[in-house]
Amino acid sequence: MVKLDQINISNDGLTKFFSPIEAAILRTLWIEGEMMTSELTEKTKIPLTSIAGTLDRLVKAGYTARRVDNVNGRVRYVYAPVYTEEEVASEITTRIMDSLVDTFGRVAIENFSKYSDKK
Amino acid sequence: MNILGEINCFGLCLKVSELASVVALLIVISIALLAASFMIRMPKHRLLTFVSAQVAAFLAIISTFYLMKCDGMLTIYLYFGYAVVSTTVIFGGLRFYDRFIIKRLNAKPIGNVIGWMQEFTGRLANATVYYYDSAVPKAFAAGKSIFVSLGLLELLSDDELRAVLAHEAWHIRNNKRMPYLKQLAIMTFSSPGRGELEELADRFAAEIAGSEALLSARHKLDKVFI
Repeated sequence: MVKLDQINISNDGLTKFFSPIEAAILRTLWIEGEMMTSELTEKTKIPLTSIAGTLDRLVKAGYTARRVDNVNGRVRYVYAPVYTEEEVASEITTRIMDSLVDTFGRVAIENFSKYSDKK
Repeated sequence: MNILGEINCFGLCLKVSELASVVALLIVISIALLAASFMIRMPKHRLLTFVSAQVAAFLAIISTFYLMKCDGMLTIYLYFGYAVVSTTVIFGGLRFYDRFIIKRLNAKPIGNVIGWMQEFTGRLANATVYYYDSAVPKAFAAGKSIFVSLGLLELLSDDELRAVLAHEAWHIRNNKRMPYLKQLAIMTFSSPGRGELEELADRFAAEIAGSEALLSARHKLDKVFI
């Protein structure tokens, strides 16, 4: 996964785990489903020069899939999310919890159980 | 012989040799041509004076070595080795450079996807157009191949694509001559005039595809194609 090795606890929402552009792309794809590059730049209001490299990275990291559409001799990418929002949330929490238990052992598990008690 | 000894030897040989005036003249000519190449406006003439300056500088180096009578000089061996290696790399390596890029980018011939682009380029230069998987709009030429990213195909209109292809085709047409320019620049420790080449390529592109298409492509890409 893209930036899970660098977590910024002070950031908001998904940008704790992803760069702001990565987060904006993922959020938009989760809402809209399949999208063309032009639609993505329009919806996220991020210029192509900034978004293009990030899209390449997200595809390489396996978060986003893209296929090439060929209509009337014009080619274009169509992007789609690979995982649902829940799947990504599950992956992130699992990895963070794993690393917490790995580092703090019993203390981490005791704190988790406090959470489940609250529920 | 140590470096200081070698420098002394250079000075002594230059003083006693009859060729000293020739070397001095060549150096003056070279500097004058280089200065002129900065002032000349026309890219074609600027390039020509730049190349002539390189030739003069190279001749100055050669004649200096010729008049050296000292034996076993390290600097001469070093320069000779440098010249041999750089010549091999430039003339041998550049020919296979595009094969290497095709493999690395996993590029595919564009003829299979957009027929007219290969046809159009084929009329301008003996080159194959390849596309590769990336959203970042980019085009460049290497060896006998032109590479365009899918992001570029997505972004530009057909007219703008023609301008980009003509620009790159110009590079391919001139690539045959480029190794000599690059090699000369390496031998005389200067950098080849990249800006002039781009300007000439743009001029050609404007002729073929129209300056409007070229300008709008430039505007969209803002210098991402070279």
